Amino acid sequence: MSASNGIIVKTKNLTKHFGHIVAVDDLSIEVHKGEAFGFLGPNGSGKSTTMGMILGLIAPTSGSAEVFGLEAQHNLPSILPRVGAVMETPGLYPYLSGRDNLKVFARLSDHISDKRIDEVLDLVEMSSRAKDKFSNYSMGMKQRLAIACALLHNPELIIMDEPTNGLDPAGMKEIRELIIELSKQGKTIFLNSHLLHEVEQVCERVAIIKKGKIVVQGLVKELVKAGDVLQIKVNEPDKAMAILGGQKWISSVNKEGDYILLGVKADKAVDVSALLAKDGIFAAEIKAKENSLEKFFLEQTEEEANA
Amino acid sequence: MLNMIKVELTKLRKRKMTWILLVVLAAFFCIMVFAAYGITESPPEHMPEESVGELRSLLQFPDATGLIFSTARQIGTLLMIILVASAVGNEYGWGTIRQVLIRRGNRYKYIIAKLVAFIIAAAIGLVISLIIGFVLVSITSNLLGSINWDFITSSYVGEFFRMFGWTLFSLLPYILLAFFFAFLGRSALAGIGGGLGLYFIESIVVVILSNAGGWLAKIPHYLIGPNADVLVPSIEMQGGPFASSGDAPSTLWAAMAVLIYSVVLLGISLWMFKKRDITA
Repeated sequence: MSASNGIIVKTKNLTKHFGHIVAVDDLSIEVHKGEAFGFLGPNGSGKSTTMGMILGLIAPTSGSAEVFGLEAQHNLPSILPRVGAVMETPGLYPYLSGRDNLKVFARLSDHISDKRIDEVLDLVEMSSRAKDKFSNYSMGMKQRLAIACALLHNPELIIMDEPTNGLDPAGMKEIRELIIELSKQGKTIFLNSHLLHEVEQVCERVAIIKKGKIVVQGLVKELVKAGDVLQIKVNEPDKAMAILGGQKWISSVNKEGDYILLGVKADKAVDVSALLAKDGIFAAEIKAKENSLEKFFLEQTEEEANA
Repeated sequence: MLNMIKVELTKLRKRKMTWILLVVLAAFFCIMVFAAYGITESPPEHMPEESVGELRSLLQFPDATGLIFSTARQIGTLLMIILVASAVGNEYGWGTIRQVLIRRGNRYKYIIAKLVAFIIAAAIGLVISLIIGFVLVSITSNLLGSINWDFITSSYVGEFFRMFGWTLFSLLPYILLAFFFAFLGRSALAGIGGGLGLYFIESIVVVILSNAGGWLAKIPHYLIGPNADVLVPSIEMQGGPFASSGDAPSTLWAAMAVLIYSVVLLGISLWMFKKRDITA
């Protein structure tokens, strides 16, 4: 059983209605083998419902979800042993210790040894607290144990729903680094999140969803590529602004911190540099200003809302 | 499947609630037996001597066997409703149901594994009840005279195992009732409330209908409790509606009624669990 054309997850016109509420609307996405895919959207946008349909927890109203080339709803026993999932709220037994929780879930999979349990506990740095009850863990520890649980059977596809929810900045950083490490190991990651900064650092490709509909999807570097703004840092900014402001081919000149932002295409950088040099002003730094994913996300969702 | 059953048993064994319910079971037996013994020692003034004699007999072998089984069924029913409803309902509350189902996609297997684990737990609980009951009655037998073990014959042993089987079987519809309500309400509270509520309401309805006479008195024949009572007669039954009217259903009828209730409740639970989305 192999994924068709290297596509691990594929949804086709996936739709879910809860009564008269449309949670997911005609959603079509593809997640390729070995990539870290970010699934972005505000709270209540349909991310978790989509994840539920991919994992067979929620039945679609129409459309389909395929995992490893198999229709998800009817092939779960073949699909799930190859999938690990981390839910938004870590769902483990509060009265069992961390290790006992992993033992319980290990028994539900085939051929998971005690050694493997030790390995995943080490991986999430929970070995020293493995004997403590799950209910006594901090939120970050619970989340780490849930990740360990998802990794027990060494899955090819890891689906994570807001894995850094409720974590402090240090905890978020740890989880982020772990996801990057898993991605480097060749695992396919499907990351549900509303934290754009987190996704930007971890994922190569993203889809943005709003009110159940895909707004845009593509490579992160394409989505945040250089716009028509040049960013320069010079020794005499006021004088430089006066010079540049008089040029018709520069649409705008603004100051932002130590930088001057010019409304001009990036390929005009040499011309800008030469112009300033004539008056003895030298650029310490000159580069195209990049968008952040956050800015892009807000632009997209606002455009959609305005439309 | 075997692994899933083992997992369910492990979860029950590691829960504090299971052990608390076991302590409640033991405490109930102790209170009941020693309270009854206390009554035989200093009976209330208005209590007829004949009734005191009956009570003495119930606290000694072999008559005590019926009392032990009937008590085990009655308290066992209540405790199993609580155990089953909390074990099923808390899976929703803790979010563990999703974690289990994304590891094993087969929902039917999950339900069957849970049910088998509950039946095993009920059987173990029943064995423990019998041990506690026999120990306590051995004490009261000694206090009231002396124990004579001559009653243990091959026919007694046969009857003992038959009673064990009927007691376990009569717990089944209540296990499934708690199961059904916990799945329906996706919570422990719904399972406990629904299971215990129906148990007590049914008891009241049975008394009212049995006393109403006519065709109304036949309705209890179609309910769970009166049929379970036929399989494992409760001590109260001697003065209860069926005993007075002599209109109890046959054992075959009772067994079929309990079986039908169990199958229907299991069928609805399976269908509902298969069809519904797991969103929480």
